[in-house]
Amino acid sequence: MTTNTFVAGDGFLYRMDPRAKIMAMLLVCVFLFLGITLEGLYATVVLLILVGSVNTGIQHTGRTFKSILPMLIFMVLFMPFNVRGGESLISIGSFTLITREGALQAARLGGRFIGITYACTLLFATTPMTDVMLGLRWYRLPYKASLVVTLAFTYIPFIADSFIQITESHRLREGGDLEKKRSVFKRLKDLLPTLTSALVVALRSIPYLAMSLEQRGFGRKEKRTSYHSLDSYRHTFTDFLISFTIPIVLWLIFKA
Amino acid sequence: MEKNRNALKVAVVAVLTAVVVVFTMIVRIPTAKGYINLCDVAICFIAFTFGPWSAFIAAGLGTALADLFSGYAQWAPISFVVHGLEGLLVALIVRQKDSVTIPFVTKILAGIVCMATVSLGYFALSAIFISGVSVAAAEIPWNLLQSGVGVVLGLALAAAVKRAYPPVRSLAW
Repeated sequence: MTTNTFVAGDGFLYRMDPRAKIMAMLLVCVFLFLGITLEGLYATVVLLILVGSVNTGIQHTGRTFKSILPMLIFMVLFMPFNVRGGESLISIGSFTLITREGALQAARLGGRFIGITYACTLLFATTPMTDVMLGLRWYRLPYKASLVVTLAFTYIPFIADSFIQITESHRLREGGDLEKKRSVFKRLKDLLPTLTSALVVALRSIPYLAMSLEQRGFGRKEKRTSYHSLDSYRHTFTDFLISFTIPIVLWLIFKA
Repeated sequence: MEKNRNALKVAVVAVLTAVVVVFTMIVRIPTAKGYINLCDVAICFIAFTFGPWSAFIAAGLGTALADLFSGYAQWAPISFVVHGLEGLLVALIVRQKDSVTIPFVTKILAGIVCMATVSLGYFALSAIFISGVSVAAAEIPWNLLQSGVGVVLGLALAAAVKRAYPPVRSLAW
């Protein structure tokens, strides 16, 4: 099970301060919802895809696009039929099939969807998860919340491995029965013992985790452990300036 | 004593968050039109066993992280809100002051609220922020099915885990 979204690389986005990247992602997402022209929206989307391809590679850009393609097709195919008012584009006899407004709305929604997807994907593909967490800590994410997320990261592979092992042992005990074609409901019912065992294994670890947290000084004023800082990023001010300026300039150019 | 309780709360929420991620990403039942993931099973199990706040945080955070790892980061905030709310509401409905069995009517009500929260929550938020009304509406039957399965299996799982590991009751807060 992969819990890592980071794609190794050395492009300029990788050297950018994660705090500035988080802000840039949020501003770009907000920008995509503002009143901008359709040309402006697609120019921004193309810019995002270009930045993504330069930094994470064309393969990753293609994979991201492939993952949203079914939803995009559905959106483009069905959206225009929902908007009935306005100038008719395609009609059968007296029945209007697609209006100009419907087609424009589908184009806008599709563009926005691609833009949001790439903005979010780029942040997590070019920033290690530990740096994302440190960035969020800098934005005053509470210590307990950060600790919960980092501990969850540690436990995900452990619980996933336990689940796979338990599934395999149940499969061995039941022999060939599991290979037979069964209905979805039968499969769900048969899954119950496996899920119960996996949950019990996971829940048994809670008291030990709580104990080790106490022994590491959780709750003390002077903690024995703390998060390290993001001082290694050198051009924090410049990165923030770029993150802030680009969405504003784009908005000034493309506002409707 | 309060410090000890805090450490336990953090441990409970962290492990339950990891459980939600694993149930969402690993346990997938193939069907004719795709697959059912079991995130709602984990959420309902947590809501029936651990109480509202554990359910809210673990469900919201767990599904958001699973979206992030699966490459659907744009859905993470929506999943956080919808599934967090689902866990919170179900847990508030089935909350018991003592350890009496949850009445059947309460379970049905919790099930209806769970299905309504997931389907309407995803419909409203994705219609507004991501995909528009038509695509969001097409997802409703699928979400109803997945959350319905989640409630039924979650209830069965809560009973089975309480039998197999009785100390689980002391972990609720």
